[in-house]
Amino acid sequence: MHRTPKNDFLYGDRIRAGGRFCVKDQPVQIKVTDRRSAAGKILREAVLVAAAGVVFAFAANQVSPRGLSLARNYFPTGTPEAAPASAVANPPEAVPGAQAAVIASPAPPAAPKQPQELPVVDRLRAVELFHNSHLKAGAIVFIDARDEEHYLGGHIPGAYEFDPYHPEKYFPAVLPVCRAAEQIVVYCNGGDCDDSKTAALLLRDVGIASRKMVIYGGGITEWTTNHQPVEVGARNSGNLSIAIQ
Amino acid sequence: MTSDYPIRRVAVINLFTVLARWSLGAAFLFLGLAKALHPVDFLKLAHQYGLTQNALLLNSIAAGLPWFEMFCGLLLLAGVAVRGTALALAAMLVPFTLLVWHRALLLHAAQNIPFCAVKFDCGCGAGEEFICRKLLENCLLLVLSVWLLAGRGRQFCARYGLFGR
Repeated sequence: MHRTPKNDFLYGDRIRAGGRFCVKDQPVQIKVTDRRSAAGKILREAVLVAAAGVVFAFAANQVSPRGLSLARNYFPTGTPEAAPASAVANPPEAVPGAQAAVIASPAPPAAPKQPQELPVVDRLRAVELFHNSHLKAGAIVFIDARDEEHYLGGHIPGAYEFDPYHPEKYFPAVLPVCRAAEQIVVYCNGGDCDDSKTAALLLRDVGIASRKMVIYGGGITEWTTNHQPVEVGARNSGNLSIAIQ
Repeated sequence: MTSDYPIRRVAVINLFTVLARWSLGAAFLFLGLAKALHPVDFLKLAHQYGLTQNALLLNSIAAGLPWFEMFCGLLLLAGVAVRGTALALAAMLVPFTLLVWHRALLLHAAQNIPFCAVKFDCGCGAGEEFICRKLLENCLLLVLSVWLLAGRGRQFCARYGLFGR
């Protein structure tokens, strides 16, 4: 009887061969066993590759200078200490001139996504705060929540760098000024960027009163688009420019 | 002349399989490297999927996945445990593609634009891409992975199978 592998199928202990049933014979049995064995080998190999890959991956993350900390919560949520709208409207420690700068009403519908719990200021308020005489005295502080590369590329003059994903690097410089400040403006790129929120919540978690913090929703994108000055390089580098985008 | 035909066909298939293995390996090496160089960016993108609220799990995915992809890419390029690696990649590609597709559907509904006009950074390592192109790319990678499972093209392999043939 001539059979090809294509029309052989197992039915219990019988084999259907070309439309007829017959008792299974040795070659087909070996073929099926071989296939199962091969599939088992591939599966075992895949499990081994996956296990080795996982070990390699976590070891590499551990060694990498850019590696993530597994235990840290990079996206803090919840606002047990967040300021309600009333506190925003009448901040107890508000700087003269700065108090009016804080928006009590929610952002307009077209405004970029921002957390409800942290007050958001628009560009005009941010500019007003920037030109407030208390800025130089340290009562008003701008915090740039972008990474180092973007910060050095241009930030609001005098803003402190604070990458919330590597906070330990920036806490020594940022915490004392935030504690002393009466108004803290946190910003990132603007738009869908959530880093300003993350930075503000992180600062809140280490003891900075959230009632002092506001988010500049438009961020550096809006700031530069409206021809506001930016400082290139390190803080107080003196390398000021008007960005035109 | 006619007797050479099957031999030639096998040679062509083997050559294609070797090229497929190298292409797949290079693709995963590149995509993994792009993510491993900017793990925070990848973490943020992974967070946007809202898969889990567990920080440890999310961090583990964001920290491990790029290096895992690079590991698999290197194995394929070197020709080590080819079928096992291909199976692992295929098993990874299916849920990832579904996730990307699901997110694209959400964006499609939210933005009210044609599905293929949806463009976003899916965290796959290649930056912002149109969704239809991304899905096609993933399908191609999946097809290549499945093709490698067939066991052809064993040339230039350091150790094709860990458990013998």
